[in-house]
Amino acid sequence: MEASQDGRSDDTPLSRAWRRVKDEAHLLRSTVTVASLCESAVAWLGVAGACVLVSTGPGSQEVRVATDDLASVLAELEVMVGEGPVRSARELGSPVLVGDFDAAGQSRRWPLYAPLAVQAGVHAQFVLPLRVGLVDVGTVVYHRKAPVPLEPVLLADALAYAELTLLLLLDEQVGVAGDESVDLSLRSAQVHQATGMVAAQLDVRLDDAFAALRARAFAEQRPLSDLAADVVNKRLRFEPEGGTR
Amino acid sequence: MVQVADGQLVDTFVELADTLTDDFDVIDFLHLLAARSVELLPVDAAGILLAGPSGALQLVASSDEHVRLLELFQLQRDEGPCLDAFHTRNPVSATDLELDDAGWPSFAAAALGHGFRSVHALPMRLRSEVIGALNLFSARPGELSKENLQVARAMVDVATIGLLQARTIQQHEVLVEQLQTALSSRVVIEQAKGFIAERLNLEMDEAFAVLRRFARNHSRKLSVVAAEVVSRSETVRDLFRNPPTR
Repeated sequence: MEASQDGRSDDTPLSRAWRRVKDEAHLLRSTVTVASLCESAVAWLGVAGACVLVSTGPGSQEVRVATDDLASVLAELEVMVGEGPVRSARELGSPVLVGDFDAAGQSRRWPLYAPLAVQAGVHAQFVLPLRVGLVDVGTVVYHRKAPVPLEPVLLADALAYAELTLLLLLDEQVGVAGDESVDLSLRSAQVHQATGMVAAQLDVRLDDAFAALRARAFAEQRPLSDLAADVVNKRLRFEPEGGTR
Repeated sequence: MVQVADGQLVDTFVELADTLTDDFDVIDFLHLLAARSVELLPVDAAGILLAGPSGALQLVASSDEHVRLLELFQLQRDEGPCLDAFHTRNPVSATDLELDDAGWPSFAAAALGHGFRSVHALPMRLRSEVIGALNLFSARPGELSKENLQVARAMVDVATIGLLQARTIQQHEVLVEQLQTALSSRVVIEQAKGFIAERLNLEMDEAFAVLRRFARNHSRKLSVVAAEVVSRSETVRDLFRNPPTR
């Protein structure tokens, strides 16, 4: 794992959110989990609830954490009517931020979902896809009962919480449970280039290639960005059947 | 200093305006803008960085895609003119890095190592918010002339308009959605570059050129083609069978 050591870059919404959740976990003598990230986000962002869905295959997701009943109801609602902001966010690959389901245009966008969400007591929903390029990890959803958009400063914090959730889910996939620091390797272009290269070398899907890269970085206790640099500079090749050269 | 010929400037803005159609690709547009910046201004490299969700600057387009140049842009997450321009909301210049590292020791050393003596960063502003920066590098020391600075500012404004697509973005939410989409597209393009580089045994900048040429030749969006490459769609089979030649 890598930490951001630099003083100036250390004061970002991401690093502040990370310190906040770590401190909260520390008080409870616990570690940061997807659930604790959700609880921290709910309190900090002033939203009614949060939901984390993880991708289980192309087009399918399942609820991993729901902080309240409404979060579960909303997730079920989307499955039932086959439309909604979560589905839209997955299709677009970008955040979908709805400050008011009653506002003009929203019921045209989701004619079935929007009125049902309002009926269930939710007027605002903020959906943030958790993905690394085309690697689809899941979605985080925050909801508000009142028709109030997320204030700009809080929106930046919501994105920071989403990024932390993404990092934690990725770590879990390769069996890493450490929470010492935030790994900022995802900001490195070489990590994404290496993912594409490994997908071609192993002839596997992009998410499997990304998992293979991260598993190896973890096994060798090396930062992901270091390993990626070796792949891009052709010092390291992944071979099918688990070998490397 | 090289003076910009008015005709060339007009042509560039016409070309940029032409790409601002309903179906335009934001990364492709910013890439064109970076390439034209190098032609119109006395600089040798240009890049456009956007502020990511957690406040970090990330490169989305550059005048060339050499790995070492990309590293130079990436370094500026920690220090450098773009970070300063982002924080101060004003243009930042270092006119001779050999004489003065301007408070960025690592960045200055890397830039000099790449053969650059002067560097400029202009913030991209939307009302009260700074959303990114245009970064210009020159092999020669010196500042940008008043005229050149005006051209650079115009490029920055056009980049901002292109990025935000809509003429007027009323809501902060839409801005965030657009920025996130642009940053995410760039990641997909990096993944596609890696895939192409491996399959066709190319360097990363060559892989990008192949990707871009294929998208142009088929009148398709760069980010859509990149996504099809990594998901191995049938629609891009020709890219690997008959790769576009240089």
